[in-house]
Amino acid sequence: MTVENIVELLKASGADAWELTDVREQGWEFYFIRRRLDQNRAKLTEHIRVKLYRKSPDGQFLGSAAGEIAPTASGDEARRELARLLENASYVKNPYYTLNTPSGAAAAPGEDVDPMPIARDFLEAVRGVPETESEDINSWELFVSGVRRRFLNSEGIDVTSVYPYSMAEVVVNARRDGREIELYRMYRSGACDREGLARDIAETLRCGRDKLIARPTPNLGSAAVVFSSEAAKELYGWFSTRMGAGFRVFGYSDWEIGRPVVPDAEGDRVTLRALKHLPNSSENAEYDAEGAPIRDVTLIEDGVARRYLGSRQFSQYLHLEESFIEGNLEVTGGTATPEALRNGRFLEAVEFSDFQVDPFNGDIAGEIRLAYWHDGEKVTPVSGGSISGNMGALARCMRMSRELRQYDCWRIPAVTRLEGVTVTGME
Amino acid sequence: MKAPFSGYLADRAEGLKALAARLRERYDYVSVLATDSKGWRVRISQHAKSVADETMTTERGCVVRVHRDGLYSEAAFNDFDPGDPRAEADRLAAVLDRQLALLRDVGVEPYATAALADAPEAVVAEMETGRLPEDEDMAALIDRLTALSDRGVAAGEARLGEGSVLDCSVTAQSTHINKLFLTEHRDLRQSYVYSEGTVTVDVTRNGRNEMAYEGLSGRGGAELFDGLAQKLDEALDSAEELLSATRVEPGEYDIITAPDVSGLIAHEAFGHGVEMDMFVKGRALGADYLGRRVGSDSVTMHEGALCAVDVTSYAFDDEGTPAGDVVEIERGILKTGICDALSAQRLGVAPTGNGKRENYEHKVYTRMTNTVFDSGDDRLEDMIASIERGYLLKGISSGMEDPKHWGIQCIVEKGYEILNGRLTGRVVAPVVLTGYVPDLLGSVSMVSGDREVFGTGGCGKGYKEWVKVADGGPYLKARARLG
Repeated sequence: MTVENIVELLKASGADAWELTDVREQGWEFYFIRRRLDQNRAKLTEHIRVKLYRKSPDGQFLGSAAGEIAPTASGDEARRELARLLENASYVKNPYYTLNTPSGAAAAPGEDVDPMPIARDFLEAVRGVPETESEDINSWELFVSGVRRRFLNSEGIDVTSVYPYSMAEVVVNARRDGREIELYRMYRSGACDREGLARDIAETLRCGRDKLIARPTPNLGSAAVVFSSEAAKELYGWFSTRMGAGFRVFGYSDWEIGRPVVPDAEGDRVTLRALKHLPNSSENAEYDAEGAPIRDVTLIEDGVARRYLGSRQFSQYLHLEESFIEGNLEVTGGTATPEALRNGRFLEAVEFSDFQVDPFNGDIAGEIRLAYWHDGEKVTPVSGGSISGNMGALARCMRMSRELRQYDCWRIPAVTRLEGVTVTGME
Repeated sequence: MKAPFSGYLADRAEGLKALAARLRERYDYVSVLATDSKGWRVRISQHAKSVADETMTTERGCVVRVHRDGLYSEAAFNDFDPGDPRAEADRLAAVLDRQLALLRDVGVEPYATAALADAPEAVVAEMETGRLPEDEDMAALIDRLTALSDRGVAAGEARLGEGSVLDCSVTAQSTHINKLFLTEHRDLRQSYVYSEGTVTVDVTRNGRNEMAYEGLSGRGGAELFDGLAQKLDEALDSAEELLSATRVEPGEYDIITAPDVSGLIAHEAFGHGVEMDMFVKGRALGADYLGRRVGSDSVTMHEGALCAVDVTSYAFDDEGTPAGDVVEIERGILKTGICDALSAQRLGVAPTGNGKRENYEHKVYTRMTNTVFDSGDDRLEDMIASIERGYLLKGISSGMEDPKHWGIQCIVEKGYEILNGRLTGRVVAPVVLTGYVPDLLGSVSMVSGDREVFGTGGCGKGYKEWVKVADGGPYLKARARLG
């Protein structure tokens, strides 16, 4: 089945509205053990996803049902699936809303992305990483795709985005006196940032040296914790998720527009913006997954909630104009230099096993794989134990650096400091 | 009834065999995995309802694995034209050759591995199930789930006060798995159904939000969802407890893990810890501990698609290896790991039936199926009575493996305080359990006689490659650091 065939079936299906997303992907994957190739893989796929809508007879409700039509489906099979979806949609009763409509002339899509030159950049960048007898790359995996994504709906939207998507998973080892440790990194981006990748892997090798001599994390009780790695995204995810339209509709966020998101804040005030473009982000796109144009929008300004953002359905329930599902996010509002935030006694956590911030209740938790304990006199690499706390309280005294650092689709303060974090040590 | 094998795959089998034959003209080993798994997911909330013919494991596509000059390569595609297998073979070989040209240009050498054996075998496994997802009465199901969600809100507000329940969401999903594995001498077909359902109650009090979650799963159809009403009652109890919970004072405690937390520990400790593709890379400490003590005498642990009947209890894995049941730890001694076929080839051991893909588009890794502690003969009340100061841990949020250093992190929903051998009624939440795996398993001193297995979650390798797994065990008494 081609997209055009399916569109004709959708038009004849009896649906009150419909959406179709066609994603074609040419993916190249390489898996390495040390420097040798474990396996190479190619992916040549097309996924055609459809969503059919049905209005209730009184017009108060709109139901939908989603599914996928395989490119190998016969005409009969596709018709049966669309009929099934339409019937299922009639059992679903959500308050009525409308789909996105065209917003001017659609931008012309670019040429298909060939994964080969991007893959070459990654291969050469990692090959150039200086290894030593005591620090080296254990294994790594590379995923590079050229993606062509087309979205159509019954209201006349027909937009196409063409973009690269890359992901590299890198595991490094460091060893000393018969003991070996590993550190894990995951990089996501559009194309390859050769210099940034090489710099970060070299930094990781240095962290590996420190982890080898790390002492057990002391039982600090309540302490200042400085975040200077990608884990800090999770802290800011608490702000962005709570400004999501769906979160508001579900009653999970009680932040009021025009009011401070963190009452009685004594630290820096967050400014959170959704951005259409960030350099080499894997989320750069003209349109969101529902065909709405993406633009730059401020969600939180100087600590005050300015607007919610999200899907068409939840945005309409909140009466939001010109909403969309954000891709890139930027956090600013820091007032200090990174050096100024690294003062006094504090724990600088650079490596967690899995750092999490629960946006629903604000709980934070993570096991420490590598941190630096600054006791006011000396700096000691430490490992083990965990940090915990709640963002609702911790955000009141949050300090951020003016300097920013980008992690794929996030640009956030390079250094973030929280006071009063519970540090459960190993001693 | 038996879950019938996919007519689509049966129709394509000869074409796929022809494709494999064409590829064998270029390569010395060729296998084909073709999938056609259908299912649906329903989510009913007070604020939004959705239904989709998609689950974590619905898929239709093919992947060919080929071997030449010591190197394995794969191509995944979902537009197979059975009418022209030679053109298909040419297309797939061309893209793989282009990759190899780049790799040669950059100076990459292969990790040389011998070709897999191909002993003749034919299997058609159509497993027993209740209802098929494709036959489900969706209108009736949506009505039942909606009534359950409504009851959750009403019962929650009756207990906790008006406006205290933000939502009660109920999900149900059922998937009919169909897989066809072909080589020159093998034709393996399997078909089974698994289902899972969850109830989540979201509550708030004085600006504090809490979420209580309960789930059920099994290798069966939508008949399993009859159990969701009981799960709702359990979630309501849990929501009430979480609203009054306080923080645990960080420190080391005697603990009792409920079967769900025991399962999480099994999964994170010696599930990931003995995935033998990590042995090949030198990423797992377990490789150095085979035959050595890693737990107390009370610890015995099994892994395998055959050691429980749940969401990932298949007949063969994604490389065509028959399902297994491995004793990983026997009375505290690490006996063996689990292994996919290529890692087994490299390590010189037999594969254990644990080669799994997220779907046909993804590579095979060594992955868990059912990972379960064996039962003992202690009674839960005796275990509680034996603790002077500690916690009974129940409910799981997440966990993270660390096979290289044997660290463990489990985020547990809540802990029930035990003082002087009795539950006090005080609840702490959430609880971060961390420690060193051999210390934790070495401290296991009592094991209850019952056992439960849970399959509602997914498992990633690192931060990707999500597959269905199940894990569980009995109540375990141990000592651990909580924060």
